Amino acid sequence: MRERGSPLFRRHRPSWRAPVELLSFGLYFLCAVLLVLSRIGHGAIADARDGLVDLTAPLLEVASIPAIEARRAAERVQLYAAAFDEVDRLKKENENLKQWEWQTKLLERKVAHLRSLLNAVEEPGLVFATGRVIADARGPFVRSALINLGRKDGVHIGYAVINGDGLVGRTVDAGESFARVLLLNDLNSRIPVLVGPAGVRGLASGDNSAELQLDFLPDDAKPYPGDEVYTSGSDGVLPRGLRVGVVTGTPGAFKVRPFAELNSLDAVSVLFFDTPALQRADPQVAPGPVALSAPPTEKAESATTASTSLPIAAMMEHVGAAGALPSVGGQAQAER
Amino acid sequence: MTKFLPALSVLFAVIATAVPWGLPADATFILPLVVVMMVFCWRTIPGAALPPAGAVGLGLLADLMSGGPLGYWALMCLIGATVGGRAGSLRESSDFALHWLIWSALVSVLAGFGWLLASAYYFRWIDWWPIAFGALTSIVLFPVVLHGLLWVRHGRLGPERNAIFRGGS
Repeated sequence: MRERGSPLFRRHRPSWRAPVELLSFGLYFLCAVLLVLSRIGHGAIADARDGLVDLTAPLLEVASIPAIEARRAAERVQLYAAAFDEVDRLKKENENLKQWEWQTKLLERKVAHLRSLLNAVEEPGLVFATGRVIADARGPFVRSALINLGRKDGVHIGYAVINGDGLVGRTVDAGESFARVLLLNDLNSRIPVLVGPAGVRGLASGDNSAELQLDFLPDDAKPYPGDEVYTSGSDGVLPRGLRVGVVTGTPGAFKVRPFAELNSLDAVSVLFFDTPALQRADPQVAPGPVALSAPPTEKAESATTASTSLPIAAMMEHVGAAGALPSVGGQAQAER
Repeated sequence: MTKFLPALSVLFAVIATAVPWGLPADATFILPLVVVMMVFCWRTIPGAALPPAGAVGLGLLADLMSGGPLGYWALMCLIGATVGGRAGSLRESSDFALHWLIWSALVSVLAGFGWLLASAYYFRWIDWWPIAFGALTSIVLFPVVLHGLLWVRHGRLGPERNAIFRGGS
């Protein structure tokens, strides 16, 4: 006859002297110690993590291929399903863009003329490398992504990461061949921003949700839903003028919806923007006066595409087209 | 090879949690909880060996790949392994519904504990909805995962399936 008592309490009474129980206790203790060390940011934990991430990343890179292909196939099916509507929309968009192109050329000429009158110094170009997202972070703690660019590609901690739509996040760990990107919507992400045409200063903070909180706006600031949000560069880490998102929400509870689709990242570019502030974040950044966007030495020697300065729009196109390609180098003018 | 099947299958699931599937932000908690559920299930399937130390190792790997604090998913897997080991094997009890109930209770406690732990870790209240959504989804997915693991173990469901699901269906 089958015993019906709760099996949870049917087994032997636990004895702390038993080796198995001691082992279990030891394992619980180990987990607690690791959590505490992780919380205080112990160097040994960080080093071990970097080493292990470098070891496991090739495995992840291989494992991510079917997932990425499946995602692309699903997107293609959706595209085919709405192909006619999409063609109509693109035609209209193309008409609009042609008008914008004409206006932009006029403005470019005007700006160049004004700059020459003011004898303005040319802004430094931004060097970048494009790679692919190979892993997503899951869980309550982090919104991050692992990319297949590392220190050997010139990536350091603190560099801005963008895709074709806008800012994605910044690098927080850099191994030899792989780097971890803290996404904009992560709990630890804080981006100083400029809001709207008036350029009101604020802070876009992640809270692990899809949108960012817009904090520390001046009392007299009046942002409107739909206003664009750009990086201000006042943290001394991120370049000024990178597109972040648009304002949503209501007065008192403004939020920022990122331009970049953070849930389905594919190809991303790391901007090599070295500043003195980065030396505090990453000791491996060369100390002393350096060019703001100096290309990594090895890359500069070997790169064949780093000789021209591209406008950021061209760079965005380049990023969008580099989905399945290995990392490439290039140079871009920061959008102001 | 059969001896390592539980660990290998959970390892496969751990890697799957880190792959960029493009899931919405609310669904990010589901896959790691499936890993914990697999640990729990393997500990209840008779004859399958997944020691707590192995569960901790796989949990640490999940922590490593997710970029979260080391020890969080290891702790969750260890709790899953401990409760799974004490819940009695499926063959003994032949009561699928009871194990489903145990998992439902366990994942509810784990969700609450995980939310508190995450909040304590960051000194702020974490959004509870993704965790609750993940816990609810894992309860719904329990029969599917258990079926899958039995199939992985035997290549078929066979008589063991009849024994296990006699009480539940």
